[in-house]
Amino acid sequence: MAPNRHSNFCGSPLHAMDRRNFLGTAVAGAAAFAADMTQLNVLQHPALASELKKQQKRCILLWLAGGASQLETWDPKPGAPTGGPFRAIPTSVPGIHISELMPQMAKRMKHTCILRSLNTRIGDHGGGAQLMMRGRRDEPNLKYPDLGAVLARELGRRDSQVPDYVSFYFATEGRSMAPGTAGFLGSRYAPMELYTSMVPENIRRLDSINDLDHKQRAELRELLSKQFAQGRASSSLDSHNEAYQRVRGLMASDKLFDATQEPPKVRDRYGPTLFGEQVMVARRLVEAGVPFVRVARAWWDSHGQNFETHQELVPELDHVMAALLDDLQERGLLDHTLVITLAEFGRTPKINPSLGRDHFATAWSATLSGCGIQGGSVWGKTDAKGEHVVEGEVGAAELFATIYRALGINPQKNYYVGSRPVPLTEPGTKPIKAILA
Amino acid sequence: MKAIKDIPINGIAFALVRVPSSNRLLFGSSDFQVYDLDLAADKSGPKVLGAHQSYVTGLALAGTLAISGGYDGRLIWWDIETRKQIRAVEAHTKWIRKVALSPDGKMVASVGDDMVCRLWNVADGKMLYELRGHHERTPHHFPSMLFVCTFAPDGQSLATADKVGHIVVWDTASGKPIKTLEAPGMYTWDPVQRKHSIGGIRALAFSPDGKYLAAGGISKIGNVDHLDGKARIEVFDWQKGEKAHEHIDDKFKGLVEHLVFHPKGDWVLGGGGANDGFFLFFDLKTKKALRQEKAAMHIHAFALDEKAETIYAAGYGKIQKLEV
Repeated sequence: MAPNRHSNFCGSPLHAMDRRNFLGTAVAGAAAFAADMTQLNVLQHPALASELKKQQKRCILLWLAGGASQLETWDPKPGAPTGGPFRAIPTSVPGIHISELMPQMAKRMKHTCILRSLNTRIGDHGGGAQLMMRGRRDEPNLKYPDLGAVLARELGRRDSQVPDYVSFYFATEGRSMAPGTAGFLGSRYAPMELYTSMVPENIRRLDSINDLDHKQRAELRELLSKQFAQGRASSSLDSHNEAYQRVRGLMASDKLFDATQEPPKVRDRYGPTLFGEQVMVARRLVEAGVPFVRVARAWWDSHGQNFETHQELVPELDHVMAALLDDLQERGLLDHTLVITLAEFGRTPKINPSLGRDHFATAWSATLSGCGIQGGSVWGKTDAKGEHVVEGEVGAAELFATIYRALGINPQKNYYVGSRPVPLTEPGTKPIKAILA
Repeated sequence: MKAIKDIPINGIAFALVRVPSSNRLLFGSSDFQVYDLDLAADKSGPKVLGAHQSYVTGLALAGTLAISGGYDGRLIWWDIETRKQIRAVEAHTKWIRKVALSPDGKMVASVGDDMVCRLWNVADGKMLYELRGHHERTPHHFPSMLFVCTFAPDGQSLATADKVGHIVVWDTASGKPIKTLEAPGMYTWDPVQRKHSIGGIRALAFSPDGKYLAAGGISKIGNVDHLDGKARIEVFDWQKGEKAHEHIDDKFKGLVEHLVFHPKGDWVLGGGGANDGFFLFFDLKTKKALRQEKAAMHIHAFALDEKAETIYAAGYGKIQKLEV
């Protein structure tokens, strides 16, 4: 499947465009059609090459809602009083060990950087989820966009006919605490939230209108719109027309969400669970040009029977994440797609009487794999019991700056709310250069 | 009930056996150790008998031979007089959840999350049978768990039970299944809110006459983040394949982790807990709870003395001796 099969760019040099549109559309066309790319010689033009590099980048966020335990995944402490019963196993990268519950990811560690030193301080679900979805806390009068909305804006194409930000969150627990939000960027970058159906609802043509009728209505609207636009220059008009284009694109994109379009061999690879199916569809979406997909796997909030909960959920994560990385790599997408595992927080080293672990934001882990990341690496360190960060402490802002930089986005880029400049990450925040490729 | 002695420990004691007619206990812990504790003579606290490589969750005692099982998948034989390890066997490919001794002391059974029960010759450590009758996956495609096994008083039958509430009774002479029973009320799968499961049968005990088989666990749970379901005991007339009674406790929430019948069958005692602990005395004749007592900790295992007047309990951070 071509990465941008929905592109309408014809490649004609006769199209008069401003530079921004030219760049965006040329890149879109270039990504879809190698022949056109050669004709445009786009890669030899630094500005175009840079734009192409940026626009090809994608991100899949595996959101481990409720808070996965770092001790049962990426930062095991076998033998410590807090370590729990699972062993640590060596990975394909000498010196890096992860939980025995993740044998498949252990073989693929070359793609992944583990950040073991998150200290994000907020230990309640709602506050933690907002912080880790947005990279910062809202101000009283300013609601920030989350990662998906920023990436939709930065990596999405203006003429895109696929959604820019898709979020799967089927479990009901915690959903209202971690909604996707475009904040001050506005509804253009709001997520397409899928809660109950794998295919977006209300995007199919009404049964009462046949296909021909539908096309003719669209053509009539386009004709009237063009006539109205003659002699007028208006961003509102552009936006209006763009919205119609996007709607038509979305209506044609329902097959992107259809897991049955994948061969049985690919479906088997991701496994029989809902999470596996959704991550496979996320791969379909990024392959088709969707810049950001969140797949929420809820609910990891293991206050009771932490180890048994993780015996269920970690092997599933291990299997699905490994399948995703393999699939992306085989399709040539891994270098352009950043895969993140993240939650609102981790879990306490202390094991409670119900054999559970509670909320813990003081020393926990996330991972970054693929695009722009130095795989086979570990950043930061916790102490022997996993109670404190002892090296390389990372906050939400540093994590987000690193994510943006990995995707070719300047973390200090300003958006403007009115006349107020608002940088993507808090002023002075620096990405972790050591883990960037 | 009255606590006579409290012994604080590091970690969680998951398994306990008592040397008959004594105050000497062996227990297995979350610090990977097997401990020897004489409540009558030893004022210095538990002494290490030996170690596994993970949580120690099963113990059986045959004369001076103790057999421990752990999450490292190993069974280890110990001589409790010489305090030496005799042999170690790689018994299961996943966690060993429980071990049980046959009434004649000649066989030991182990169950693990590889969903197999294995019978072993106590004398030489040779495997006698592999009993396979539990599914490796839950109906929702997740790994299942085989939590518990216990012998019938005549030693001719052995029962095993798993996470989804499936019970198999086996003929120990042939290694063949005799009967299957179901207790689905012990297992909760949350398909909507949290999309994972909790529960399972954690305890089994045959009545002294061998007629009844009691199973312990937790009732359906609304919020599977916590052990937030009512403690549950189901009693089967197992040869008929019928459930004789179902007790859903009205006072305590949590798992029933261990069950022991009174030597004469007057009552069955369950111990367990969630963040707190409890003891439940259940009368099979009246089908009512005789007593519901709060325990000092989440109970994982306990033993009764010969007269059923004293309880030796192991659990979260503590070993305790109580008068009934």
